[in-house]
Amino acid sequence: MRALLFFLTLAIGAAVGLGLTFITMVNGYGPAGIRAGAWQAWPKAGTEEADPYARAALARAGELPLELADGLAFIATTDDAGRPLDGRCDIHLSGAIPQARFWTLTVTDGRGRLIANAAQRNGFTSPEVVWNRDGTLDIWLGPRARPGNWLPTGARERIALTLRLYDTPVGLASSTNDAPRMPRLVTERCP
Amino acid sequence: MKRLILPIVAGLVLGGIVHLVAVLIVPYLAERDAYARLAAVTDINSVAPIEDPSPDGAVLPASDPAFVSAVCLYDLGDGPMKIRMPTTQDYTSISFYTRHGMPFYAINDRSAGRSVIELDLMNSKQRAALPENDEVTVADRLVVESPSDEGVVIIRALVRERSARDEIRALVDAAGCDSPS
Repeated sequence: MRALLFFLTLAIGAAVGLGLTFITMVNGYGPAGIRAGAWQAWPKAGTEEADPYARAALARAGELPLELADGLAFIATTDDAGRPLDGRCDIHLSGAIPQARFWTLTVTDGRGRLIANAAQRNGFTSPEVVWNRDGTLDIWLGPRARPGNWLPTGARERIALTLRLYDTPVGLASSTNDAPRMPRLVTERCP
Repeated sequence: MKRLILPIVAGLVLGGIVHLVAVLIVPYLAERDAYARLAAVTDINSVAPIEDPSPDGAVLPASDPAFVSAVCLYDLGDGPMKIRMPTTQDYTSISFYTRHGMPFYAINDRSAGRSVIELDLMNSKQRAALPENDEVTVADRLVVESPSDEGVVIIRALVRERSARDEIRALVDAAGCDSPS
């Protein structure tokens, strides 16, 4: 009976320990993220002060983080209402982009891979996108081509957006809570 | 029932310990980490281009497809390294990581403020061994101190629009990563 209880202890320990580790490593880069609307970023992950969760998640994924002195990456997997981004729908990204010397917007599938498409377009850079007169942006994502700034989603069930700001003051402030105003993401029409 | 309480509590405590240890050692045990992925496409102490990300995958997951990049895996065991990179009209950057992926330094064309970024990469011993009366020259040179002997240098340049990709690729290919001797 003693031995049984001992093994029960070990089993609970292993299950809880490894389960917890797995959960914290597959969802983002640890607890030190900042959130702005549907967007999430981990400024600290790109510095020497990266916490063990960020370092473990990056090592497991085989990624190198964008260094904060270089820039900051914001990731969105849902729209502003919290619905997962669906590549079969028309999604509208609108508003201003935080201050940065350059930025790039990339659309990937749910597993982070680029989506093959006839237009060979996987994103926009700040010099090539068409801006509105007031300095804001309108970008449409969807399976069907349309005029204006259009990003093909290949009708994937899940997509993710990454907005990378380069040479930006965002995230450098000492308090990591003051998240910048990020563009809105609205799912407009679903088939 | 009462005798189950102790194993459950002990199991939860043990689980917490297992979790902490696992998180701390993952960066050192991960077999397919960034260094391993890069080591498959390049040799030590030389610059190699990184293939552009495509729908089939990327050398490093979550890399920006709008950039052209090259890598240099370094080993300072034989002496300091010289890193150089001609800047483009747009955004150019060099970032440094340790063997286990900890970022420790990054510089871009604007913070370097010249048309060719040139850096001396050395460990703390080699930096301490720099001749003292060399102060003036040292101030003029950009010295980067690596916390470890082995690490990763990523050299990247933004491609403003697709038509410029070949031109930028040629510039990135001109980057250097050599031991001065």
